[in-house]
Amino acid sequence: MKTVLRLFTALALVAVLFIAGLIWIPVSRTPASEALPADWAPEPGAGEYAMRAGDCMACHTAEGGADFAGGRAIHSPLGTIYTANITPDPETGIGGWTLDQFRAALVDGLSADGSHLYPAMPYENYRLLTEGDIRALHTYFMEEVQPVRIDVPEPDLPFPFNQRWGIRALNWLILTHDSGFNGIMGDKVLDRGQYLVEGPGHCAACHSPRTAYMGQDGITADQPAFLTGGYIDGQQAPALRGPGSVIRDWPTPELTAFLATGRNFAATANGEMGLVVEHSLQYLTDADIIAMARFLKALDGQPHDPPEMTVPRGPLARPAAQADARGEATARMLTESSPDMPLGARVFMDNCAQCHFVTGRGSPEIFPALQDNSLVLSDEITPLVSIILWGATVEGTAQRPMPLVMQGYEARLSDDDIAALTSFLREAWGNDAAPVSPEAVRDIRDDGPPEARQDDGALMD
Amino acid sequence: MTAPPQNPKPHFPLSHPGRRQFLRVSAASFAAAGLWPSTVAAQDMPPLKDYPRAWLTENEWVFVLAAVARLIPSDGEGPGAIEARVPVFIDRELAGDFGAATDWYMEGPHQPDAPPELGWQSPLSPADIYRAAIPLFDEWCVSRHGTAFADLDAAMQDEALTALEGGDVPLPPELRDFFDILLTNTKEGYFSDPIHGGNHGMAAWVHIGFPGARAHYREWVGRHNIPYPLGPVSISGERA
Repeated sequence: MKTVLRLFTALALVAVLFIAGLIWIPVSRTPASEALPADWAPEPGAGEYAMRAGDCMACHTAEGGADFAGGRAIHSPLGTIYTANITPDPETGIGGWTLDQFRAALVDGLSADGSHLYPAMPYENYRLLTEGDIRALHTYFMEEVQPVRIDVPEPDLPFPFNQRWGIRALNWLILTHDSGFNGIMGDKVLDRGQYLVEGPGHCAACHSPRTAYMGQDGITADQPAFLTGGYIDGQQAPALRGPGSVIRDWPTPELTAFLATGRNFAATANGEMGLVVEHSLQYLTDADIIAMARFLKALDGQPHDPPEMTVPRGPLARPAAQADARGEATARMLTESSPDMPLGARVFMDNCAQCHFVTGRGSPEIFPALQDNSLVLSDEITPLVSIILWGATVEGTAQRPMPLVMQGYEARLSDDDIAALTSFLREAWGNDAAPVSPEAVRDIRDDGPPEARQDDGALMD
Repeated sequence: MTAPPQNPKPHFPLSHPGRRQFLRVSAASFAAAGLWPSTVAAQDMPPLKDYPRAWLTENEWVFVLAAVARLIPSDGEGPGAIEARVPVFIDRELAGDFGAATDWYMEGPHQPDAPPELGWQSPLSPADIYRAAIPLFDEWCVSRHGTAFADLDAAMQDEALTALEGGDVPLPPELRDFFDILLTNTKEGYFSDPIHGGNHGMAAWVHIGFPGARAHYREWVGRHNIPYPLGPVSISGERA
């Protein structure tokens, strides 16, 4: 008994010392990944462009709030945190941060005072930024962004996840890669694409799976799990390579169209990806979008001939696709319009077929196809049911200004109707996914629309 | 139950409200529930006699039930106005913007005896025309046949409505459109979307083969002379 007690005390002491070390031993900041000349200065506009490529604005701006003033709620399985004010306000923002402090936030996940940022900040990915982009960003945020004095709410996390020193231990596990960029594609354009996807684009933050301790499983292109699919806020981020790749059957020009405008021959960008297009990708040059698309196709072992531009300019008329061999039986059944058709098919005819068509292939750049649609087939059914209940909007972009709006069917369809409909969608046109129960639909309905769950909490001084 | 507004100027005390008409209506409602099944649970709807009226008074309600039952009778082809709950539509329509002529130009000068092609010339709203005309028409029925309209037998009701339509019932000029709006409102209640109270169970749509608010017939544009088989859907998503 005494031995056990002594052993226990010893272990407790070690643990205390360990935690004390975690808390009080100062962390070291990673130095610059490359040495730039002392008189180096970013090209005009380079900082803003790097900000767009890094999509800083989407997370660091609250709904209706000032740009970069933070306060957007980020929901994690552990609780809610609020994004930081990254305007150069010296008291509530990042005003006065030195380049070293600023770099450490991006590559080490450290605040100016040495405390740890929550890993919702994708420093695993920003760690790959070039020193040139980091300095351009630093100049941009210090000199070009308007300071806003605003306090953001404290994170709403349970113990022990509200103890920031715990993140230090986490970082030992997840920040094992070198800082800076290492191109492996053997081609200047493909390397540029790799850089934008890996670093600023931080695609892996959603599209790579997570390890047991919630780090990204696949941060760089040489890792096998890189971009093989993950989850973000109850939504599936589909695989971009490998057998389940959603872009496998997309010709390169369709991939560039999707990245640049959030819409292409088969798909529209919803949810988180819609925000990425709205705040980040639509601002990138054609050359960069094409480089990203070609890199992704090359990474997946597919042909990647460069298109001339991201999307055709000017007026465009593209006919809706006919049903293919896999979808023909469903299309024929729906066309016959027999009163004996199953309930799910009937609900589809009464509510959906006008836009998504009996072919299940929708209409290019307007109505997404439901056949092979990753959101329809996902094991996360909440986004699909949520869109049916409350609708969805694909925002317009500079090159495709028309927003695409789907209305909600909350009042028109019962839980049984939606369960039958979604179950039908998941097995129609050759789709193959498990049915959805009315109880599952009811739970999603009871949780309310996604906006109601967004509680942006920034308070102006 | 919403208390219907009181008739401000009763022209004369009506004879007992047509009890026979109520019985007929109730029987027809039950028949309809079995004849035209739909996703709407017929039993969730109060019988017409218990319907909580929004505008019509008891006497007006009795009249409307009797009149629409002759305009679209239950013993013809398809459902009658009663099975389609047309009176509910009319009551709600009169209680709403149409009844009050909310979005019509209703300032003077009014010249009620102007030729009909000059449009609405009555200073009264449609709801007020119902309110004023029904007692006068009943009065005429009493003077002619000894009983109010609702208590006449079907043949005499048809005769009275024909007289009303032909202008043979003496009504002041500001009420002369009464039959026209009654007939129009009856058709509207019969064929409009059930969300407005009539066309119960989309029975009228089923009868004429109208598929309702589906808005998708792309594949059928080129299919000539083939009956479209799928039943209707309503704005609120009912299926029949």
